[in-house]
Amino acid sequence: MTTDLDQNPRSLLVSERSSFRDLKNRISSQVEQLHLNYKVSLLLPEYSFDRSVPRTRIDEDNCVSLTPKGHLTLSLDKDSFEVLGVEGKPSRFNHRVKKRFVVSVDLTDSCMAPGGRGYLRLLAGLKSRLRLKMDFLLSHHPGGGASLQTLLSRHDWSEHRPEVSRHTLTHLSCPALLTSDLLSCDPHSFLEWLGAAHAHISCGNTSSSFLSSLVCPEPKTALSRALSVSVCGLLLPQDIHRLLQQIRVYLEESHLESWACLTVHGFVDSPVSWGANEHGVLRGGENFYSLLMFHDDVYYLHQATGAHDTCPP
Amino acid sequence: MSVFMDLNLSFCADKSRLRSLIETAAHLGFSTVAVNYTFEPTAKKKQEIPAPMPITDLMDQLPVVQGRSRPIRVLNRLTVVMSDSSHFRPTAPEYRRFDLLAVQPTSEKLFHVACMTLDIDIICITVTEKLPFFFKRAPINGAVERGVMFEVSYAAAIRDATMRRYTIANATSLMETCKGKNVILSSAAEKPLELRGPYDITNLGLLFGLSDGDSKEAVSSTCRSAVLHAETRWTASGIIRTTKTCSVTPIQQEAPPEESDAPAAKKAKLEDE
Repeated sequence: MTTDLDQNPRSLLVSERSSFRDLKNRISSQVEQLHLNYKVSLLLPEYSFDRSVPRTRIDEDNCVSLTPKGHLTLSLDKDSFEVLGVEGKPSRFNHRVKKRFVVSVDLTDSCMAPGGRGYLRLLAGLKSRLRLKMDFLLSHHPGGGASLQTLLSRHDWSEHRPEVSRHTLTHLSCPALLTSDLLSCDPHSFLEWLGAAHAHISCGNTSSSFLSSLVCPEPKTALSRALSVSVCGLLLPQDIHRLLQQIRVYLEESHLESWACLTVHGFVDSPVSWGANEHGVLRGGENFYSLLMFHDDVYYLHQATGAHDTCPP
Repeated sequence: MSVFMDLNLSFCADKSRLRSLIETAAHLGFSTVAVNYTFEPTAKKKQEIPAPMPITDLMDQLPVVQGRSRPIRVLNRLTVVMSDSSHFRPTAPEYRRFDLLAVQPTSEKLFHVACMTLDIDIICITVTEKLPFFFKRAPINGAVERGVMFEVSYAAAIRDATMRRYTIANATSLMETCKGKNVILSSAAEKPLELRGPYDITNLGLLFGLSDGDSKEAVSSTCRSAVLHAETRWTASGIIRTTKTCSVTPIQQEAPPEESDAPAAKKAKLEDE
């Protein structure tokens, strides 16, 4: 065999430990970086709280994203890019042949003002040459709906609310997280266990079961109950901040030496991830961060990406 | 990346089985498939090249690809199993009815001829028996330069354990010589259960010796290159194509040929061809 089967596609896990009380913590900037979040999952131990989103695939179709900073990114395949006729760069993740191109437009730039040179060229390209038609998922801050009305009145639209689902897990074996100073298991095993818990996969690894051989990392304890909540939809960093504050309040008020784990997933098919960096899908397009919080305001942040991604900040 | 394609679905006379094959392929996420008619000429009897069944005969409405809003595209392909160099006749008019042309050479000399001279799109690598010859770098490089693709099919590996060994052995020996370039992976499925999803085939490609990127390309952009290569076979320099119109006006006796000369590169995706 010529290839080494031990080589897996690259995936990155960046871990950091800090505290909310530390003035230099970067948590707010890190939360801000991931603009397009589709799912938030929360696991609360000892607590007993629109999947039908239209989808274009980033490795097959054309995808478009618009960030709050006014950055429009079009991730196009070769034919569409050549027909559109606007300046762009080949994707960083092209392998042998250039087949995916990224057009990045800063809409706050002076030449993109209505009537400007760049604006007219892009408009002509999208209207007469490429005629790109897409469904958009939009989200606005509370109170900002009025400015969207003029835009929405010209198109068909429907309102979706984020889908919330909650499950109470019973008799869950979980890693014994000793104190906030020392995590008893390494980040990879912890995240694997967390994913199994959220997906309701049993970590028993009994000899009669062929479905899963996942195990809970040692040392472990048993929890009589735990609450797993997940929210799906287009979720903004501001919503995540609010949720973080609520969780911190809950952890302070609860008398047990408790912890909570919040995982925020970015869209698999998003053209951008971690700021304005390009994102792609090789075999999986995961880009998420996981925040393990303790009651004394200490947190562990794990940020993970797949093969076609840049390193998270 | 481009859309996922499976360029080898075996033709069977049973229409309902073929229909369910295409529906399964659309459900798994393939945007383009090719129905493969295999033709094995023997010296004894003169056989006719099969005519492709028009897709409208098979199903009224093509199924929509899962996860996208477009219907699946179905092409026709002919594979000639060559045991003699006279078996493939380049000027045969029957070949024009097929979108893709492939050959399966059975000896080293025929493999060399197929790589260097024959006007085809795909060369099939045998997976059901031990390869009777070794791959040499010179004909493979010649084929790569001409834009001919090498195909490895995996349905035999699903059916039988011995075939699995032959498939992996033959495929790895091909990859050593061609370095993963111009390879397509396809199913050669006869039943819907023998089809696998595109990401699963990408993983299978790793066992054959392809790298991650090459393996994903083998199901997407390399297949697209094969289909475009097939389209340019009927054009002059890849740009101009002439088609005869059937209409006869009262004034003219003969129908004049019609030229459609939009450059292939700038035209939007040729969806209805």
